[in-house]
Amino acid sequence: MSALLTVHGLRKSYGERLLFDVTRFDIEQGAAYVLTGANGTGKSTLLRMLGGLERCDACSVEFEGSRLPLYPYPGQLRRAIVYVHQHPIMFSTSVGHNIAYGLLARGVDRRQVRGLVDAAMAWAGVLHLRDNDPARLSGGEKQRVALARARVLQPRLLLLDEPTANLDGAAREQVIDLIPTLAGQGVSVVMACHDRDLINLPGVRRLKLRDGQLEVR
Amino acid sequence: MALLDATSHAFALLFSGDPALWHIVWVSIKTSLLGLMLATPPAVLLGYLIAMHRFPGRRIAVWLAQAALSLPTVLIGLLLYLMLSRRGPLGGLEWLFAQPGIVLGQLIIGLPVLLAFTLAAVQALDPRYAETALAHGASRVRVMFTVLHEARYGVMAAVISGFGRVISEVGCALMVGGNIEGETRTITTAIALETSKGEFAQGIALGIVLVTLALLMNGVLVLLQGEAHNPGARL
Repeated sequence: MSALLTVHGLRKSYGERLLFDVTRFDIEQGAAYVLTGANGTGKSTLLRMLGGLERCDACSVEFEGSRLPLYPYPGQLRRAIVYVHQHPIMFSTSVGHNIAYGLLARGVDRRQVRGLVDAAMAWAGVLHLRDNDPARLSGGEKQRVALARARVLQPRLLLLDEPTANLDGAAREQVIDLIPTLAGQGVSVVMACHDRDLINLPGVRRLKLRDGQLEVR
Repeated sequence: MALLDATSHAFALLFSGDPALWHIVWVSIKTSLLGLMLATPPAVLLGYLIAMHRFPGRRIAVWLAQAALSLPTVLIGLLLYLMLSRRGPLGGLEWLFAQPGIVLGQLIIGLPVLLAFTLAAVQALDPRYAETALAHGASRVRVMFTVLHEARYGVMAAVISGFGRVISEVGCALMVGGNIEGETRTITTAIALETSKGEFAQGIALGIVLVTLALLMNGVLVLLQGEAHNPGARL
C-alpha cells in the first residue's frame, strides 16, 4: 500500500507541558487505524490537528506529491480530509439537508446532490430519516447521519473521534459495522477510540500515543 | 378622574384615525426601521467577527461594544447635532432637523445593541457548529451564514431589542430632528411635547401605540422561537 499522507513534525504543547511530539508517520491509502492512548494523551487533539481544527505551527504533510503546511490549513487537504466529532453536531435543518451540507458547500450541482445523499443515507441505514428533525434523533442515529454526511463527500481520509462513545447495544454495533465498509471503499480511516470491538476489527492497525510519542503497531 | 378622561380621549383619538397622530406614528416607524436596516448588517458582521476570532485587543472590543449600550442617547444627539449643524463637518448634507438626521441617530443608537446581542448569541453557540461547517468544506463566508443561522433566535432578539431601543429613545430624535410637526415629530418627542403642554390624551394614545408595537415585535419573536423545533430547509 502507498502512503496517502506522510505527517511531519506533529507537535503540541500547552505552555511548558508537552502533549506529544511526533516526528513522522504515514497513513496508508485505504487503511483503517485505531488511535489509542490513555485519557489526556492528546488523541482528539492529534485528530483535530490533522483535520485543520487545531492550530499546528510547524507541522507539515506530504500529500499527492506536495509538501503542505497544516496551518493555515490548505484547501487540498480540506477537500480530502473530513473530521467527525465524538458527539456530532447537527444543523437545525432536516437530516437530508445535513447530509447535503458539504456537497452544497463544495458547489456540487443540486440535481446530483439528491442522488448522492440518498446513496449515503442508504449506506448508513438512515434513509427513512430524511425529513426528520435532527434534534429528535438518538445518539446512534446521529452518529450514523454524521458518518453519512462525511462519506457523501468521498473523502480520502476520515478522522473519527470516539465514534462509538456513549453508544450501546444495537446502535454501537450498527456504527461498528459501517467502519470496515469505509476502508473497503478505499477511504483511509483514523479513529480515536477505547472500544475493544473497534480495536479488534480485522485489518485495523494500531497507533498508540504514549509519553508524547506515537507508536505504530 | 383626569387620567381616565385622558385615556378615554386617547382611545377616541386612536380610533378616529386622526391624521396628525398617525403621521407621527408613521415617521417613528419609518425612521426606526430605516436606521435598524442600516445598522443590522455591519452590527451582525462585527458581532460575529468579534465572537469568532481571537485577535489582539479583542477584550477591549468586547468592552467597548458593551459599554456603548449605556451611551446616553442625548449625548449621541449632541454629537450628531454638532456634526450636522451648518458649521459641522457633515453640515453640507442638510440632515439636521430632517428625517435623515433622525435615521442616522437611530443607526448609531441601534448598532451597539445589535452588536452586543449578536456577539452574545454567537459566543453562546456550541463551537462545533463552526467546526462542523469548516470540516465539511464550507468557505469562511458559508461558515458565517451557518453559524448565524444556528444563532438566529439570538440575532432576531438582537434586532427586536434594537428596534425597541431606537423607537423608544427621545433625546437624539429631539435634538437632531427638532420635533417639527409633520416632518420630524416622532412618538417619543410628541409625548414629551404634549405632556409639557398638559395635553395628556395624545401622549397616552401614542404611548399605547408604542406599547402595542413592542408587544407585536416580541410576539413575532416568540412565534418564531416556537418554530425552532421544526426542521427548516428540506432537500
